Amino acid sequence: MNLDFSQIVPYIPFMLEGIWATLKFVFFAIILGSILGTLLALFKIGSIKPLRWFADAYTSIFRGTPLILQLMIIYYSTPQLTGYDISAFLSAILAFGLNSSAYISEIIRAGIQAVDKGQTEAAQALGVPYRSMMKDIILPQALKNILPALMNEFITLTKESAIVSTIGYLDLMRRAQVVGSDLFRNFEPLLFVGLIYWCMVMGLTMIGRVFERRLKQSD
Amino acid sequence: MIKVQNLYKKFGTNEVLSDISTAVTKGEVVSIIGPSGSGKSTFLRCLNLLEIPTSGTIEINGKNLTASKNNIHKIRQQIGMVFQHFHLFPHLTVLENLTYAPMKAKGVKKAEAEMKARLLLERVGLSEKEKAYPNSLSGGQKQRVAIARALAMEPELMLFDEPTSALDPEMVKEVLDVMKDLAKSGMTMVVVTHEMGFAREVADRVLFLDHGVLVEEGQPIEFFSNPKTERAKDFLDKVL
Repeated sequence: MNLDFSQIVPYIPFMLEGIWATLKFVFFAIILGSILGTLLALFKIGSIKPLRWFADAYTSIFRGTPLILQLMIIYYSTPQLTGYDISAFLSAILAFGLNSSAYISEIIRAGIQAVDKGQTEAAQALGVPYRSMMKDIILPQALKNILPALMNEFITLTKESAIVSTIGYLDLMRRAQVVGSDLFRNFEPLLFVGLIYWCMVMGLTMIGRVFERRLKQSD
Repeated sequence: MIKVQNLYKKFGTNEVLSDISTAVTKGEVVSIIGPSGSGKSTFLRCLNLLEIPTSGTIEINGKNLTASKNNIHKIRQQIGMVFQHFHLFPHLTVLENLTYAPMKAKGVKKAEAEMKARLLLERVGLSEKEKAYPNSLSGGQKQRVAIARALAMEPELMLFDEPTSALDPEMVKEVLDVMKDLAKSGMTMVVVTHEMGFAREVADRVLFLDHGVLVEEGQPIEFFSNPKTERAKDFLDKVL
């Protein structure tokens, strides 16, 4: 068997830098996706019809087309349409954030609707304004129900982030390919970054468990 | 204090409340009784606009409730409500359940809200539970906390929607005792209940609803011993 891990040793620092490159845009994409997803979810359950239509149309478009297509449209057509030379980093954040917000909004919507209607009525009967009620009473309870699904979405996003290698962003995946073509050996660098992806997902899983335990406090 | 005139409520084509007119004066305790499905709860929920009446007017302290939807939060702050299934906030401690609404809706300072909350917990006999979460309480304790939570807003009127119906029999008394206490203190109360004993002992007036119609109203002694209508007689024969 032709396997020689010693060959990738000089490239390890180069590949490890990819962790940071990947985490950086995944982090911002998760933040963007969560904020936008929460807003969209509130639109969907709200009573303002145009906002509801907008949120439904948005979800339908971003769930209905491939993520890699969305990424390419943002990266390649922004300069063509606006003249602004968008960076691969920004394109990645936008594509992943916008795409993931569609999924997150569905998760949160389901979570909110699963909270007992009596909670809303109790808050209303006490004269609590809608905003405070959502922020302090409904969303915290919804969050507890949806945490596993939300963690799942974040894990998917972290792994799918490898798609940005197609627009030349030097993330983990791209770096493995660079090393592979440099060495004419692909298996070792690919296996190496595979291990790193796995570790990152394990880390996320652990963080999720800690949160879940903390939210279970009131049971 | 409350004046209801020609109140109608329809769910689709189903008429749940039909032409109800009545009034409640300050300090009065009114019990609403009637068979299930008679519209008792719907009527009560109309009083703080948890259900929007199809037509008719509800005045509370001279303010027209149905016309002033903008002020709905302000008006609801003056009306406490206790639910059959408690609806305590499960992610907040007992003390936080009591202080949340005064702080958020009325802007009361934390220290003041906590002081008042502790007095109320003492009043319902649950001082030692202030740090507990609702899920660790018994049904009777939950309902006492729910009453205290409503009182924390210092309402002028309290609505009770079958407050003892979800409780184990041995816990009914502790909740009724708190309610009796409250009635004695001069609180205006509207109570939907299946506890005929409570209606007879504590209420100043009984309203009997059947099929969404206010069939009969009167003083409890008279109503229970000598109901005027056939339907009330029928109902009382079944439950007493």
